[in-house]
Amino acid sequence: MIETLLQTLLNGAASGGVYALVALGYTLVFSVLGVINFALGALFSLGGYLTYLLMGGAISANGGLPGWGLPFGLPFPLALLLAAALTGLASLGVERLAFTPLRRRNAEPLLVLITSLGAGLVLVNLLQMLMGAEGYAFPATALAGLPDAVVLGGARIRSVQVLLLAVCAAAVIALTLWLERSRSGRALKAVAEDATTARLLGINSDAMLRLAFLLSGALAGLGGGLIGVSISLPGPYVGIGYGLKGLAVLVLGGLGSVPGAIAGGLLMGLAEALVPGEASGWRDALAFAILFAVLLLRPTGLLGRRLVEKV
Amino acid sequence: MIALTGNANLYGQDQRLGIDLARRWSLSQSPQRPLRLQLEDGGSDEATAIAGFNLLINQGALALIGPTLSQQAFAADPIAQRRGVPVVAPSNTAKGIPQIGHFISRVSAQSSVIAPLSIAEALRRDPAIQRVAVIYAQDDAYSTAETLIFQKALTTRGLPPVTVQRVQLADNDFQIPITAALQLQPQLVVISVQAVAGGNLIRQLRELGYRGQIVVGNGLNTPNIYPICQRWCDGILIAQAYSPELDTPINRTFQHLYQGVRPGQPPSQIAAQAFAAYQVVFEAVQRLQRRGGLAGVSLGEARESLMAELLGGQYDTPLGPIHFTPDGEVVQGRFYVAQVRMDPGGRSGRFALIRNATAPAASPPDR
Repeated sequence: MIETLLQTLLNGAASGGVYALVALGYTLVFSVLGVINFALGALFSLGGYLTYLLMGGAISANGGLPGWGLPFGLPFPLALLLAAALTGLASLGVERLAFTPLRRRNAEPLLVLITSLGAGLVLVNLLQMLMGAEGYAFPATALAGLPDAVVLGGARIRSVQVLLLAVCAAAVIALTLWLERSRSGRALKAVAEDATTARLLGINSDAMLRLAFLLSGALAGLGGGLIGVSISLPGPYVGIGYGLKGLAVLVLGGLGSVPGAIAGGLLMGLAEALVPGEASGWRDALAFAILFAVLLLRPTGLLGRRLVEKV
Repeated sequence: MIALTGNANLYGQDQRLGIDLARRWSLSQSPQRPLRLQLEDGGSDEATAIAGFNLLINQGALALIGPTLSQQAFAADPIAQRRGVPVVAPSNTAKGIPQIGHFISRVSAQSSVIAPLSIAEALRRDPAIQRVAVIYAQDDAYSTAETLIFQKALTTRGLPPVTVQRVQLADNDFQIPITAALQLQPQLVVISVQAVAGGNLIRQLRELGYRGQIVVGNGLNTPNIYPICQRWCDGILIAQAYSPELDTPINRTFQHLYQGVRPGQPPSQIAAQAFAAYQVVFEAVQRLQRRGGLAGVSLGEARESLMAELLGGQYDTPLGPIHFTPDGEVVQGRFYVAQVRMDPGGRSGRFALIRNATAPAASPPDR
């Protein structure tokens, strides 16, 4: 019984960690800009493919450059970090192309939302043109030295899931510490709280916005690389599903709330894990039913604050 | 029209190759009267398949080969049926495909004929098996049809599954259903999902400590799964409608052409079926043309004549001799069971034929 419970908790935490990572990416941009960056799912895919290429993987026969690969292959941890950084830069590019022009014209948030969706679709299609539509698997040596699975208190979990959980936890802790303790982190929070006042206090809100996009993209890239090594890359659309789930977690936790994104991710993962095995096909339905129920009871999400309209 | 994009592209790659080789073969047979082939991407979903069929029909296609997935066929085939265009399915194995209408046929034998052979082989290898777990994709027509056949075969042998885990086509993380199944300590796991998910499922099953036998369905009948499940693919059992070892002139030709493109690799079943689908259309058109059956008739009449000719013919294909029942179901002579053998590096492998599991075809399936 305890074994089963522990297994369920581990299963839930492993999935929930990635959801939390994506939701944090959404949260960073939402808290500063007040809009959702729908391109995040595509950046998640990009992170996965970049990690694969940086590890020395080659483009398949159906890709735009068949057989092409980098002349070197980095070890997985290094490839993962570098891919996350490059995805962060790509996220800055999305900000420059899809957000800045509309922001300068004070466009409606809905328009910004649509351009981010468009940017995401373009990115996914570019990935498909370059890499082809087929799945890519990371080499089995990516996690050389680790056993296939570990047993914790009688529950069995794949080593890669433990790694995934550990990296997600480390990323979340590092981000939280940075936001709370560092000068730039507090500046970002100040811009999120009130951009006008922050600007009057001498904070460069544009720089903070760019920083939010950079970090948001890096988190998505990190998630993509981790998922890639865990379950391979089934195609350029891999990030879209995670992006949607992250969006649900964002709402569940409370829009713009960092602790909410973490709590929401874990709750969503656990909700999925609690679905009995025989009904596992209904996992998403149950998870979203929980989301629906929470929002009925707490429209601001688990840890979200009620927005006060300033007049 | 085959899947050149999306998850089913793993099959589409093989089908494209099979069709291309068949076309080259047909040009050597009849250089003066080649068929004009138009390749259209059917994606991996129903909407793209419908759009592709509509496009090709409107452009005046005489016959259609495709789509790749049964799920797509149930959506797109009724359009071809309504418009009176012959369809030859190269890889649809779900129950009920030819029954969509009299213009619909297939060269891919129905799961009910093939699937039980691999169960029989697993039980022959270990007659002590008592506990079987079944995993299938509940939102996919092929997977749901095939799992029922697997489950029926198991129940008939007194082995009702101890658990049936349902996953979804887009799933790739199977920790939850696998751990649920492994808690019941199965000795055999039977899987019906598509290739990408299947590759991941097998890998995760092995990583989570399952060491028993694995039987997989037709969805994993492509060497393109090897890069996904790598060394963990080794040992899985799969029933097949094609054997590279079939010693006939047409199969030797097919193999020779295949080796020219992919040296050192044996052809896959999917490629062989795609070759056969093109060959069937080509030979039926040739026979009609020889009799002058396509001269001076409208496109609709030509399509009608072609369908009748296609169903009436006997074909010596790389799959072996095949013909069709009056409603378009393929009747094939022999089927096989293979075991995946991965190379030491775990990046490539082969379907190794298990000779003593070779079985004659069952009678045409129930309707």
